[in-house]
Amino acid sequence: MKPGRIVIVILLIWSLGPLAWQLYTSFCTDQALVMPFASHDQRWTLAHYQSVLTSNPPFTRYLFNSLFAGVLSTILTLLLAIPAGYCLSKLGKRSALVIKCLLIGCALFPYVLLFLALLEIARFLQLGNSLIALAIPYAALSQPLAVLLLASAFSDLPSELEDAARVEGLTILQRFRWILLPLISPAIASTAILVFLFSWNEYPIALTWISDSDKLTLPVAMARIAGSSIHSVPYGPYAAATVIGSIPLILLVMIFQKPIVSGLTTGAVKG
Amino acid sequence: MTLELKEVGKKISNQWIVEHLSMTIADNECLALVGPSGCGKSTTLRLIAGLDPVSSGTIHINDRDVTELSPAKRSVGMVFQSYALLPHLTVIENLELGLRVRGVPQRERRGKIRQVLGLVQLLDRADSRPAELSGGQRQRVALARALLRQPEVYLLDEPMSNLDAQLREDIRPELRRLILEQSKPTIYVTHDQHEAMAMAQRIAVLHQGRIEQIDTPYNLYHNPCSLFVARFIGRPQINCLKDEAGDICAVRPEAIHFSDSGLSCTVQSREWLGNSQLLFLETPRGLIRMMASPDQVIPESARLTWSSDDEMFFSAETGCRLSR
Repeated sequence: MKPGRIVIVILLIWSLGPLAWQLYTSFCTDQALVMPFASHDQRWTLAHYQSVLTSNPPFTRYLFNSLFAGVLSTILTLLLAIPAGYCLSKLGKRSALVIKCLLIGCALFPYVLLFLALLEIARFLQLGNSLIALAIPYAALSQPLAVLLLASAFSDLPSELEDAARVEGLTILQRFRWILLPLISPAIASTAILVFLFSWNEYPIALTWISDSDKLTLPVAMARIAGSSIHSVPYGPYAAATVIGSIPLILLVMIFQKPIVSGLTTGAVKG
Repeated sequence: MTLELKEVGKKISNQWIVEHLSMTIADNECLALVGPSGCGKSTTLRLIAGLDPVSSGTIHINDRDVTELSPAKRSVGMVFQSYALLPHLTVIENLELGLRVRGVPQRERRGKIRQVLGLVQLLDRADSRPAELSGGQRQRVALARALLRQPEVYLLDEPMSNLDAQLREDIRPELRRLILEQSKPTIYVTHDQHEAMAMAQRIAVLHQGRIEQIDTPYNLYHNPCSLFVARFIGRPQINCLKDEAGDICAVRPEAIHFSDSGLSCTVQSREWLGNSQLLFLETPRGLIRMMASPDQVIPESARLTWSSDDEMFFSAETGCRLSR
């Protein structure tokens, strides 16, 4: 085996090992988990999944909540970031640089510091306990990065494509529909995944803005499972919850993998 | 039908990219815009197409002032250097897009596209994507798109500079035929003077954003109005010699011949051009380029001469033509 491959195998074990362990834990009975080398009547079980899925409210409820907040914040982000990115790519060099620096500053700002101010705004607007209220700050916090990513995608397009379309008589909306959006779709897909991931994983805002147990998002719900008993840590149900929680993400990447990869390979316009 | 530019100028951050451009291009006329890179050729084309707003002056198409109109309303057909075909659409879809947004009914669209594709001989590639086409084919698709527009003016921005030399020569007659058949004013931007002479009835030489001279290829070559034009037009380059008055005397390489008396010289090097040879000769007045027939024997003690009719004089300071 070549040394490069050995490194890859080590890296894979390093990154996938914990996931495998989590998967193993979720299917293991509590006794087998505590004493892995003893012999047990029953080593494997689906009980953890059963308990997670039949709790009140069932775990699928949180899954749906997170999906709802994630999809909504992704759509909101893209609706604003696509036109913003387009304009940024059309600006003069100097003003574009100033705006990009500001955006990078925003993207790097630790959002937890904004948290109390956001909370006050949410209270003022009476947006507590609503998933829509979560999607709005998520979209806002993802905005700088999304605009930067999309602006660079727009400025990578040859400007003659749009010039030709203008001569042909396409309006700005028609140019978006027929030229710009299809050509930057790989960038849109990867931006969407990033935004979705952020809102899927976000914890502090979700923790404080939502108290209604019907409207919790996944990270908060999982934390509740982990802290549900003061006598023991429910490793099994917690592992089952994380496994269920990662399935949508795996599906998402699998679906979007094709446009992302094809976007990388067929960028040739001139040839 | 005509295209008319009156005192057109374009300024970007206090610098004039082009200035005082005035020209009239008649129907059925192809005007070539030539000049070194950065002289404002492409800018001029973009101003006429309406892609960039002018800073001064007016543009008229068929006596209609289009200076303030959007590109869509000017009815120009443009071919871009990079062809600007959409990579995700097939040839037919590329061509159909413009017709669709201009409101041509679906049934008519296909007929028109087939007709134009026949004209550029690409009917068999209608369902290919641009990436599957050769450079020459892409160029013809771009041309077909401009033809479909049925414009009042054709603008071609270095349409052949991405093709290799052989293909360029092959396509030239075809392009000329297609453009002339339309009998519309055409502006052809190129940095290749041979291409300009082959394609156009008149050539405008641009230099630092101004028109240096606008004339027929014959007059540009034989009667340049400035040293810049004399040097720019004609390959091998014209010989520029200092004369006694401190002005510049220019003589074309083919006007020079060997004789018994005249300027003494020694051969420095020579280039074979097939049907002729180009000699580089050291003389007391500097290096002289001379075109000679391929079987020209170089005399032992060679001397150079030329007819005074072939001399052109230019001011050393301004580069302007002096009448002598």
